[in-house]
Amino acid sequence: MSDILLAVVHMCIFPGGVFALAVGMLFKGIDRRVEARLQRRVGPPLVQPWLDVAKLLTKETLIPRTACKSAFLLAPVVGFTGMAVCAAFIPVPGVFQGLFNMGDLLVLFYLLPIPAIAMMLGGSASSSPFGAVGFSREMLMMLAYETPLLMVLLAVAMLVGKSVGTGAEFSLLNVVGWQLENGSIGFNPVMIPAFVAYLMFLPGTLGVAPFDIPEAETEIIEGPLLEYGGPLLALFQIGTALKSFVVLGLGVALFFPGTIGDFWLFNLVWFCLKCLLLMLLAVTFVKSATARFRIEQAFRFYVTVPTVLALISLVLVWAM
Amino acid sequence: MSMDTWLKKMSVRSPWLFRINAGSCNGCDVELATTACIPRYDVERLGCKYCGSPRHADIVLITGPLTARVRDRVLTVWNEIPEPKVTVAVGICPISGGVFREGYSIEGPIDRYIPVDVNVPGCPPRPQAILEGVVLARSIWLKKLGLEG
Repeated sequence: MSDILLAVVHMCIFPGGVFALAVGMLFKGIDRRVEARLQRRVGPPLVQPWLDVAKLLTKETLIPRTACKSAFLLAPVVGFTGMAVCAAFIPVPGVFQGLFNMGDLLVLFYLLPIPAIAMMLGGSASSSPFGAVGFSREMLMMLAYETPLLMVLLAVAMLVGKSVGTGAEFSLLNVVGWQLENGSIGFNPVMIPAFVAYLMFLPGTLGVAPFDIPEAETEIIEGPLLEYGGPLLALFQIGTALKSFVVLGLGVALFFPGTIGDFWLFNLVWFCLKCLLLMLLAVTFVKSATARFRIEQAFRFYVTVPTVLALISLVLVWAM
Repeated sequence: MSMDTWLKKMSVRSPWLFRINAGSCNGCDVELATTACIPRYDVERLGCKYCGSPRHADIVLITGPLTARVRDRVLTVWNEIPEPKVTVAVGICPISGGVFREGYSIEGPIDRYIPVDVNVPGCPPRPQAILEGVVLARSIWLKKLGLEG
């Protein structure tokens, strides 16, 4: 009973739910601010994502007459719930070990595409032609960036597994624990291609330029999100903020889970700083320097560059 | 202050802009782009964002004299925007017809069809004037929510 209660606390307050949302929203604000500063603009205040959500809550909800109502209403809830559960899996080194300790890397791999699937569901249920175009683009992008992600996860699992002697280690708890003893995987020269592949995976999965193709606001007017407004759109935005926390936290846990000292607060701040650095490197700087790819260019990019990089790491780990 | 009032007060700090071109010569649209893109003006510091979908819009910026062919489309798109919305007429054309006034194809001025809240005259208006119009629209939005700006 107390296990279940503890799991609920982990999903709702820390590190899922409230904490993940606070960090995700703060990062979104920092992202917009830094991008504006890079373009020599002033930029919005850091609380802007919260203000956007507050605004959306006061707007009326319109549902298209031709839409499939149940799926249309369900999609944002599915995306949000998937990510809220996902966030509880993210270990914060030195503070929290992660909710489960068996095969959670594989579970994360299955849970991570849920927001994209929710987007596809909402887009196709909205009965808008732009939603349908967004649907097909989102699916192509998903197929493209999931492959390198799987290979990166496999490479990390094999590296740790070979050292421990279990073949492949799919427990995030053990992966982080192994790194705390034997040094971070990100500093291992064999794993640097995999880390670069993970960096390339981030903008694709978060749907920012140059890979914001499914939600391109200038050509297919936000695609699947076109018909959403008011609280439903707010739920999508909250889901995106949670997702950014999940993928950044996963990156830190996989490659740089080092701690400083034993005091939990320092470790927490250290973890957030590493997540922030990862976001600036992979998302903000890339986003403010690039324009949008066409869908087939993005697809070709993902099935060549990051996939090959991840494959190099995988083969090197296997051959070692 | 109740939760609802607080939410409404916060909400006007996130006005998302939507552009409708009602047969404009594009002069005002270039100025609107300037307002967003040139660092000196930067409409994003007010929390604004140009959005592609009318469903996401809060403040509507209409340019152009409302030509006969575009009238029904403008009305359709304008009706798609969820309440509360504030309408800003940008440039002299939607206000009086400008140089196109009394032309055979002109259905304007725009307030024959749509209630306009803020007029930003000019041919085209300066970015500062557009920014002032957006700020004015924010206080009108606050009034529409039932709070004094």
